[in-house]
Amino acid sequence: MPLSDWRWRAAAGYAVGLIGGAIAWQIVGWHSASYVFVPLTTTLDRLGQLISDGSLPRALAASFSVYGVGVVLAIVSGAVGGLAFARRAILRQALEPYLIALYAVPMVALIPFLLALIGYGFWPKVIVVWLFAVFPVHFSTQRGAESTPPELIDVARSFRSSERATWWHVVIPYTLPFLMTGVRQALARGLVGMIAAEFFLSAAGLGSLLITQSEQFDTAGMLATTLVITLIGVGLMAIGRYIEARFARWRVQP
Amino acid sequence: MSATAPGHAGLRQTPAAPAGKASRGRRSALLAPVTAGVIIVLGWQLAASAFAPSYIARPLQTLREFPAVLGDGQFLSATASTLLAVLEGLVIAVLAGTAIGLVMGRMRGIDRLLRLYVDSFYAMPLVALVPLLTVWFGYTPAARLAVVVIEAALPIVYSVAEGGRHLDSSYIDVTRAYRAPWWRVWTGVALPASMPYLLGGIDLAVGRALIGAVVVEFIAGLNGLGYYILFHVRSFQQDKAMVAVCVLVVFALVLRRAVGAAVRRGLPWYQGT
Repeated sequence: MPLSDWRWRAAAGYAVGLIGGAIAWQIVGWHSASYVFVPLTTTLDRLGQLISDGSLPRALAASFSVYGVGVVLAIVSGAVGGLAFARRAILRQALEPYLIALYAVPMVALIPFLLALIGYGFWPKVIVVWLFAVFPVHFSTQRGAESTPPELIDVARSFRSSERATWWHVVIPYTLPFLMTGVRQALARGLVGMIAAEFFLSAAGLGSLLITQSEQFDTAGMLATTLVITLIGVGLMAIGRYIEARFARWRVQP
Repeated sequence: MSATAPGHAGLRQTPAAPAGKASRGRRSALLAPVTAGVIIVLGWQLAASAFAPSYIARPLQTLREFPAVLGDGQFLSATASTLLAVLEGLVIAVLAGTAIGLVMGRMRGIDRLLRLYVDSFYAMPLVALVPLLTVWFGYTPAARLAVVVIEAALPIVYSVAEGGRHLDSSYIDVTRAYRAPWWRVWTGVALPASMPYLLGGIDLAVGRALIGAVVVEFIAGLNGLGYYILFHVRSFQQDKAMVAVCVLVVFALVLRRAVGAAVRRGLPWYQGT
């Protein structure tokens, strides 16, 4: 009984927060100029319009093709790079300082250079998403592969496991949970990269939709688009956490 | 065959390493990054001269531009503008974020009211708020400050609340036993215990604050390093813009180091990891 009581209270707390937020949005909206803030109901109406006139679905399709390609490339190259760095000391010694410095670059600052180099279009945006997403994957894969316990490798070797088999059956399974931590971060950071890239590099996508709406002082449209982006962010975060938790079971208990 | 000595970091060392490998390793630890740096710089330089138009940034020209750019009044004012805004925003975010985070971590009712919003804003790309905020604040430094504060405050609130939730309850029991007044529990126990979490939050906040500041400067054309980069890339002076990128990187690295050092010095109970 106390547990279900506690759950009921928690659910009530979240519900009050949600409803209170919605009411506050509505009231503030009624009392603001329409270019500053609009009520929730107006926002939802505008959201319906954006869906029915096709501009939001088009933006979503454009955004997600960029995001998907960029994030998948980041996961693949980050995983391969991380494993290679963990395996080859020479790579790590030679390149790690530069990667750490590159990781510290606020990637948006590179967007003008990309624009000058390759112009507008699909691939420059993919590169931005990739730049945002690749480093967490690389570093967590590398950390995971480096921390493979030597005993495990020794056991594999003493059973005359080949180099390849050692990798497939020991190092990669051991590293996967770490990789998934990187994937979760990549999912979130890639989204930031996608929006930032679309602000400056495109005539399509959610970011570009937001810019157009702000130029037209379409506050309802901006709020509706932001709401959609927020839901996407929350959804991707949930997916990332789920993947991470699923693979965390593989983690060898110390 | 598996002659790896205990304590070796697994894959880092190949088994049955020949004697003298250690000293050779140490020498290559210095030699390798330098060689790689030279190869990267030369490769970039040659590739740019061979294939790219002359306005594309080249490392040697960027290096040559450094003294001129660092002495340039326009550059200095842009640097001061961005860096001060980021510092100011970080200070506000640390103060407000710690307060909100602690209250959320320690008071379950408030946590339930706000959790949904903090989680959602933490999960979303906050740069998406920039167009809205530029409508609210205009194309002014206030818009940049608002973006920096929001970007920086969320990871801080998120992780300080996490710290408050995981506060060891035996500490609270001790304060009860000694009949400590309620505010002493907050300032004497909850606040110090959440400091490591605050440090983790600030570490994330620095990078996010810089990204936010640069995006606002791009969109609003505000004086600052972001706009300096945009302007010089557009006017075919990429080498100067590259200097500004380097300054951003150095600032991010120095700030994160400084926060870590300050916390370790000012908070002797924090063991660090």
